[in-house]
Amino acid sequence: MIGLNLTSMIDVVFLLLIYFMVATEFKTAEESFPMDVPMRNHGQIITLDHEPLVILVESAGMGMEDLRIRLEGPWDPVGTLDALSSFLRSNKASGFGSSGLFAESHPIFIKPTNNTRWEHAIAAYNIVVNENYTNITLDEPS
Amino acid sequence: MARLGNPTSSINANMTPMIDVTFLLIVFFVVVSQIVDRDVVPMDLPSPNHASSGMPESLEHVTVNLVPLDGGEIAGIVVSGHAIAADAMDELAAIVNTRLQGGATDIHIRADRATKYSHVHNVIEAIREIGMTPRLQLVVSGDER
Repeated sequence: MIGLNLTSMIDVVFLLLIYFMVATEFKTAEESFPMDVPMRNHGQIITLDHEPLVILVESAGMGMEDLRIRLEGPWDPVGTLDALSSFLRSNKASGFGSSGLFAESHPIFIKPTNNTRWEHAIAAYNIVVNENYTNITLDEPS
Repeated sequence: MARLGNPTSSINANMTPMIDVTFLLIVFFVVVSQIVDRDVVPMDLPSPNHASSGMPESLEHVTVNLVPLDGGEIAGIVVSGHAIAADAMDELAAIVNTRLQGGATDIHIRADRATKYSHVHNVIEAIREIGMTPRLQLVVSGDER
């Protein structure tokens, strides 16, 4: 009876198995916020249809509770992410006849300082996205 | 003393199911090991609460990593596997431009949660100066939901 010698094959197969088990790195789950990058028009002045809402973001420390938010313009002060969320929700124009000030496509500029932590800038960006605004720009540092 | 059983018989393990399982494991690891993105530099990405971020579409993309240092500074930039200096914005623009002309449509920006915004902004400005209109993907962690 002719039989295959399985010993060497199993040796190789186990070596392959050990190699792949050791060498495999699992990719961590990542998500993203999409943002369009408009081209810069050198020397040309662009007039916006609406005055943009400018959100100033500052880091006073390392934790999320150290995030400071201010609005540029004649708005009531908002200090925290929750207050910003309430402000955006209450001033949103939800349709014809609505008393809200900002349409979904209203330009919103997020303006962190040079030293603002990236997670704080992203947290502010996330709040604006959460309120379904679509025209969001990360602006030059203030 | 009398021996029990047949002295000529031997006990053999059935190798077939073990080889089946082993091959399945090998196939699994071969497949999984190919989906690792080698362009990605490990770092502590931001993870906002109740994030409304989504899974990035698997389009042709360029990954720009801002390699973190202590104090919110960056040690350098790794773009599509090329390590460049933190202030080499012309080089960054050249690499990204080449990739965009080669068919890439998205640019994934990965920065550590502690990185200062000024560094990220410099990268965004360098991309903007290229003069094309790619879509940026600001990458965050998808773990803590």
